[in-house]
Amino acid sequence: MESEKTKEESKPFEDPEKKPDARQRSVEPQPAYRGEPAASAMVAERLSAYYGAFKALADINISIQQNKITALIGPSGCGKSTFVRCLNRMHEVTPGGRIEGKLLLYGEDVCGRDVDPVQVRRKVGMVFQKPNPFPTMSIYDNVIAGLKLGGRRKSSELSEVVERTLRQAALWDEVKDKLKESGMALSGGQQQRLCIARTLAVEPEVVLMDEPASALDPVSTQKIEDAMEELKERYTVVIVTHNMQQAARISDYTGFFYIENMGDPGRLWEFDETSKIFSSPNRKETEDYVTGRFG
Amino acid sequence: MPRGTFQQELDRLVEEVVELGREVESCLGTMVEALETHDVGIARRVFGVDDSYKERGAQIAEECLILQARQAPVARDLRLIYTVQAVQNHLVRAGTLCEHICQAVAESGDAERDPDLEAALLEMCRGACNLFRQGLDIFEARDIDRARDLEAADDKVDLLYSEAMSLAVNPGKDSSSGSPEWRVWAALTVHYLERIADHGVSIGERTVFLVTGERMESAMRLYRDQQLDHYDD
Repeated sequence: MESEKTKEESKPFEDPEKKPDARQRSVEPQPAYRGEPAASAMVAERLSAYYGAFKALADINISIQQNKITALIGPSGCGKSTFVRCLNRMHEVTPGGRIEGKLLLYGEDVCGRDVDPVQVRRKVGMVFQKPNPFPTMSIYDNVIAGLKLGGRRKSSELSEVVERTLRQAALWDEVKDKLKESGMALSGGQQQRLCIARTLAVEPEVVLMDEPASALDPVSTQKIEDAMEELKERYTVVIVTHNMQQAARISDYTGFFYIENMGDPGRLWEFDETSKIFSSPNRKETEDYVTGRFG
Repeated sequence: MPRGTFQQELDRLVEEVVELGREVESCLGTMVEALETHDVGIARRVFGVDDSYKERGAQIAEECLILQARQAPVARDLRLIYTVQAVQNHLVRAGTLCEHICQAVAESGDAERDPDLEAALLEMCRGACNLFRQGLDIFEARDIDRARDLEAADDKVDLLYSEAMSLAVNPGKDSSSGSPEWRVWAALTVHYLERIADHGVSIGERTVFLVTGERMESAMRLYRDQQLDHYDD
């Protein structure tokens, strides 16, 4: 599947010390994708994350495939959320939060000293567990909130963005007649899709979702999942989920995070195609987890 | 352990299948005896098993369906339920064939027989029953190392099949070639026996899949490719 964007040309972060062969050194998933050749959108190499002296994540090597959905699963406290927060440099916002290792977005270093974290977050958007629309804003204004921060735009252009992103988030038909109403008047599931539209409005490369459907009813969950299926046509999606069946249903790749012993940092225990993880995973711990025998 | 009840249900499912398998095996034993002795009384003991096996097979399939609906099994649980469904099908079919053969024994009664063909048939019968038992043993013990031996044993049965069929269609000129009716029964029996052997081999192969997940990946890929093709349309 061809991406609509020409990734080769995108140079989000100009780094004078950038190595031109960065992409060639990216770590491929194991085993490499066997369908059509896919490129890596994000690559982590020996990534470790700390909260002060506590090492929460150790030596994560992963290659997030472009225009695919990657699900991250694992027991609570094993570092999944920490990992996705590293991907858009939100981890460092936590007091004492820091990372070691390398993180690349289309071959460009995301963590370099000269890289503006705000720019990273434009490229790597995030949807949180609890829907968090801006309470005083209308649906319309919620969607374009991020765009407005980036300077003035023509109103016709903004309307276009609102319709496109609300359609992508599978919300348009439900709200097209009440765009001026408050975002808070929507149901929880609609609010979450509004937040997805808001994330998409700034045209990110990668969309991170941290348990986006865990607070929603099954119908809303299904709508979010349908939206995600659409999203991967344009974006690369990483989703943290505790819902095994959700991971099995929607993702192309699955990463299982695991802590071997209490107090150890979380590790990426197994990473493979979703079909492999949910049919015959390589490691016993993965199988114990996905079959619910964990503990 | 979490999902203790689910695990118990899975264990019970496996017990039911193995129990059914052992009963089919015992029926096959009766069948061998009936073929060896031409004893209509022994053959009749097997009459009616087909219906009861089918009913139990359907019950096992239903339990599998309910577990799938309620427990959303994945990985080894999914492989187990899938395998149990397939194995019960092999068992029931072997049971049906066993009854057919016993009916043939009963109906051919004291017809005139070809001793060469009968000898080949009996040897094939023992080979097929052995294969069936081996397949079931492999499934019960999940002993996939032994599954490799099945192929060789099956080749032997296939060889006996060709031999017996050749004897069945090429009767000798002398009087010992048996009655035409009996030859037809014999040919049918040879065919049924070959099927029983195949069911044994399949049970062993299913066990390999159960333990290793082999084939599953290619099946999943096929499924995904089909979906992609569908989107392209």
